Amino acid sequence: MSELKHYFAPTNLDQAVECLKDGDVTILAGGTDLTPQSQAGRVKIKQTLMNIRHVSELAGITLEGDEIRIGALTTITEIMNNALVKQHLPVLVEACDQFASDQIRNAATIGGNICNASPAGDTLIPLLVLDASVELASMPEAELYRHSMPLSTFFIGPGKTRRSLCELVTCVRIPLPPENHVARFHKLGTRPALDISKISIGIAGTLKEGILSNVRVAFGAVAPTPVRAPRTEKALEGQRLDEATIAKVANVAKDEVKPIDDVRASAWYRKEMIHNITRRLLSHVAQT
Amino acid sequence: MSVAEKKTRIIEPDTLIGKRIRKMDAPEKASGKTRYIHDINLSGQLHGKILRSERIHALIKSIDVSAARALSGVHVVITAVDVPDQRPIGVARDHFPLKVGRVRSERDEIAAVAAETEEIAEAALKLIKVVYEDLPVISNPEDAIKPGAALIHPEPHGADGSHEHLKQGTTIAHKGKPDNVAMTFDYAHGDVVQGEAESDVVIEDTFRLHYVTHCCMGVSGMIAEFDASGNLLMYSNTQVPFLHKREFAEYLNIDPARIRIIQPPIGGGFGSKLDIYPFEVICLYLARTAKRPVKMLFTREEEFLASPTRQPVLLTLRSGCKKDGTLTFRQVHTLHDNGAYTSWGATTPFVMMQTFSSLYRVPNCDYHTAAVYTNNPYAGSFRGYGNLQATFAIEQHMDMLAEKIGMDPLEFRMKNAQDAGEITGQGMSFKSCGFKDCLTTAAQRSDYSRKVQENKANRDKPGNIKRGIGMASMLHVGGGAKIYPSDGCGTILKMDDFANVTLITGASEIGQGSETVLSQLVCEELGLPISAITVVNNDTAITPWDVGVHASRTTFIAGNSAIGAAKKAKAKILAVAAKKFECAESDLDLRGGFVIKAASGEVVIELSKLLRNLHFQDKAELVMTTFYYEPPSVHQDKGFKGDVSAAYAWGTQVVEVEVDTDTGRVRMTRVTGAHDVGRVLNRLGIEGQIEGGVVMGQGYALTEELLIENGVMQNPNFRDYKLVTAPEIPEMDIAFIESMDGEGPQGAKGVGEAPAICVAAATANAICNATGVRMFELPFTPEKVYRALHGQTPKRYWTPWKAE
Amino acid sequence: MSLKHDIEFTLNGIKRQVSVDVTMNALAMLRDVIGLTGTKYGCGEGECGACTIQVDGVSLNSCLMFAVDCDGRNVTTIEGLANDTTADALRDAFVEHGAVQCGFCTPGMIMQADHMVKSECCNDTDSIKRGIEGNLCRCTGYKKIVDAIAAVSGAQT
Repeated sequence: MSELKHYFAPTNLDQAVECLKDGDVTILAGGTDLTPQSQAGRVKIKQTLMNIRHVSELAGITLEGDEIRIGALTTITEIMNNALVKQHLPVLVEACDQFASDQIRNAATIGGNICNASPAGDTLIPLLVLDASVELASMPEAELYRHSMPLSTFFIGPGKTRRSLCELVTCVRIPLPPENHVARFHKLGTRPALDISKISIGIAGTLKEGILSNVRVAFGAVAPTPVRAPRTEKALEGQRLDEATIAKVANVAKDEVKPIDDVRASAWYRKEMIHNITRRLLSHVAQT
Repeated sequence: MSVAEKKTRIIEPDTLIGKRIRKMDAPEKASGKTRYIHDINLSGQLHGKILRSERIHALIKSIDVSAARALSGVHVVITAVDVPDQRPIGVARDHFPLKVGRVRSERDEIAAVAAETEEIAEAALKLIKVVYEDLPVISNPEDAIKPGAALIHPEPHGADGSHEHLKQGTTIAHKGKPDNVAMTFDYAHGDVVQGEAESDVVIEDTFRLHYVTHCCMGVSGMIAEFDASGNLLMYSNTQVPFLHKREFAEYLNIDPARIRIIQPPIGGGFGSKLDIYPFEVICLYLARTAKRPVKMLFTREEEFLASPTRQPVLLTLRSGCKKDGTLTFRQVHTLHDNGAYTSWGATTPFVMMQTFSSLYRVPNCDYHTAAVYTNNPYAGSFRGYGNLQATFAIEQHMDMLAEKIGMDPLEFRMKNAQDAGEITGQGMSFKSCGFKDCLTTAAQRSDYSRKVQENKANRDKPGNIKRGIGMASMLHVGGGAKIYPSDGCGTILKMDDFANVTLITGASEIGQGSETVLSQLVCEELGLPISAITVVNNDTAITPWDVGVHASRTTFIAGNSAIGAAKKAKAKILAVAAKKFECAESDLDLRGGFVIKAASGEVVIELSKLLRNLHFQDKAELVMTTFYYEPPSVHQDKGFKGDVSAAYAWGTQVVEVEVDTDTGRVRMTRVTGAHDVGRVLNRLGIEGQIEGGVVMGQGYALTEELLIENGVMQNPNFRDYKLVTAPEIPEMDIAFIESMDGEGPQGAKGVGEAPAICVAAATANAICNATGVRMFELPFTPEKVYRALHGQTPKRYWTPWKAE
Repeated sequence: MSLKHDIEFTLNGIKRQVSVDVTMNALAMLRDVIGLTGTKYGCGEGECGACTIQVDGVSLNSCLMFAVDCDGRNVTTIEGLANDTTADALRDAFVEHGAVQCGFCTPGMIMQADHMVKSECCNDTDSIKRGIEGNLCRCTGYKKIVDAIAAVSGAQT
């Protein structure tokens, strides 16, 4: 068991990634999760605490080709207020608006939300249905090495991801949605925002002449990670959104999820809500 | 100014009563300058921390504190064996601050540390090794009361297994209990059998009221310091300093005169600070042993685990009425989950039975409670004190009975509502009573009768949002409560040479605004602006006795006391002025800082000048007065009958909701309240009390629940214990009924607890109005409502327990 | 021994250096190391907002921030708004509207309200309510707090 020995605040990506080489590093970004978790003793800070705040490469939202790049350090508030995101990714703005509280949105980063890998992570569901990918940087030798992976394969368990200890998430990339793209998000809690969702649902696709295609469906808080729902997607793909289809798909969705009982909701209620909210969102899409 | 001009100056009549008066402590609080107990540090101060049980119910086989004592920076480590003079504490004196031999709940205190820093104290706790032997956990009061249930407080046995020798007069913590029943209450008036025989309709239902807790924004804490002579100075959050001075003295076996309690501003009370809790006594032990000041503050998690709760209750109510709408009888059995120890929660029947016996005219009433020990958290006093629970059951039955006989629910209530002049079966005498005005005002302002019908008609129309409206009313003490030998309050008042007045009151300011309202009452008597007063309070070494902040009593009791002192001062001033100006005292009055002619308002002399004359020229006198007010109420007799309060407060609230049938989510859209407050003194303050109480009631109804499983709290945090947040609050329309109580200060009655009482009951009625589904268990969380809407909630019936 | 780190930052307009435990949060630094007690501990988990401060112009929960993360930044606490026009107006409005009872949530509430008014995001009462959703108050029922903020921001009520 290693004690905390170093505090390091790199000012560029090379320094940050080099620091990660020995793997015994706790990364501090917005701090909204790490601070209370470490104070309460639920997370132990490793030998080095690395504060990546001053790594400028990790900031900012830019249009790169047909992708929107959101730097890992971008706060939830910055995403909500960004013109590019507002124009192209309104569903992400909607999810950010329901993220915790203003104070937390002002500090929490998208990279942190992704790396926390909470099954109920608020931004993860819209990112999944928007086909987002995560870029990771490491320094296996002397050179900086970057690679990407789809967000849908990134999560492996509650708080667990495919990021190795030597890697840093640098950004998420989201393809510009095509024409006629529709996307909807719903978070079910008891409050407007400051709440951990009982379930959340994202649905996206291309809607042409009443037919939904290229469908993406994702569910939060019904599995150990945020999940895509392939059976529900398949049931929707190429379908006209009439009442019968919506009813059928809602049932498929309900059968597809295998939630658990916890302090926030029972498995039974979660399944019911997956059904009812899927139906509600699809009805909204049908009325688009 | 010439003499001629002076003589013509007229002061117009004005009043402070009913105005919007700024709270005197607000500017400091809004600047972050107020020093709460958390912000006070004494030089040489150590930090105390408590080790709590890792088990719910177990024998303590051994405790090893050697490693903790050896840790650098640790001054004192204590367990029960280090404090041989420990005495049992609490309402029933049924537990020791540091537990002896046995733990009975998750919060139980085993050891305590005083160290240089909080971090060191925490590290020391981790080094303490405790060996337990588990005992069966009883987490359900229905199990606790079964014959043969394991005992939570059995008779103690010595090392050889024989009963320990008991000293005469020892308390129950020593003696043990033959069963798990902590307290029972039995009340009756009339004849319920006869009442039932006369009934056309009889209904019986079981209601379940849940665990909630106060969630004061400032966590609990205290600082204790003994001086070189062994006198104790405490900085405490208590709401009842004079009672606690005496009680702490008992626990320390010292003369109460040696204890001084200072109450710094606190981050919320709501009844949570009416009992002495183990941490407070433990903090004293640490300070006594360390011979240094010791400060102890809870973490938020600890605040959840080790604070009292509202009393959870299982309640079966049987009610009847005639076809013409006359109530015939009420029969009530409740089972109180006492938790592991007895605090004020066990005594909530005092208030509950008042509501059952006297909110409406009921000729026959029968009430029984058993409060039983379990291994759950223990319940204390909480704003409303059992009345939320009682009202939840009664007011649902009022709607249900009305429906059975086909009468409008408002009309049914009006028919049975109390009037002024009534003396109830329990002996409560309603000298002022605005109940019927409350009912009609709340109904009119909310358009209740029309909406009830409209919502019912809309129930089966398409759409997932159903609207509902529901009503509930309450009766609560509003003129103190004669629980202790005295229910009084003392005042010392002095005036300086500049006509500034200092009010030294026994009353405790805990954020509710007592300083401001007492200042208003004094300045009103003395004809002074509110800026001319300084209030001194919250220090037992300075202020005269008061029983404390509870039972919505401060405005009424301390207000009458303050007025008494001010009247004496005024009489003295007018006597001096009358002599000086050679007129009758009755010709003069005080207004705007002047002595005036009562008839014309013409200035006679500036008050400050008169006071200086008195002090420096005449016979060298000062104006200083004292007054002690004891309300004209009586103690209840052994059958719980008697007029315990000098006045009673009434209120009706109408709650409107939208129920989302897709999710079960209930949105509270509007609350219309009408409260008989006697008279509005500080309009700003009273609005704040009502609005805050309504939203606290909203939390009780919709969102808050301490989840306890097998004695373990599942949600000791604000993430999963859901207080209402700003976007969730309803629109609030509050009307005040001014019944001008004859005994009340300027006609006012107490209001502190009233607004929280009706909300859950009215919400239940509103949900039923919206959906046709009646909910018997709180809180109305989305899942619970959704289940009920889908027939997934089997109706529960609890067969009342009968004593052998 | 706990690891210490020296930081330098601007606190309420004044540059200052301080040596802090690396694991300490900003709330503990402000209260226990620097001695500014206007910022309150309510939960330590970002759920109550009593510890709200402003850092580089935005409001944050100081309990959710490492003290070392203040390095090089501009930190404002309730004490630092003593001579601020907006904050003055808010304080007066809170007093005038009866938005203060026990007062424990008030400094955090004012820090958040100040940020909201300055970033012009309170157009109506709904946006004000959303703006303070991270600040719990157990006494007032929020209505008077919302009214006070609306009075300063000029929001429609």
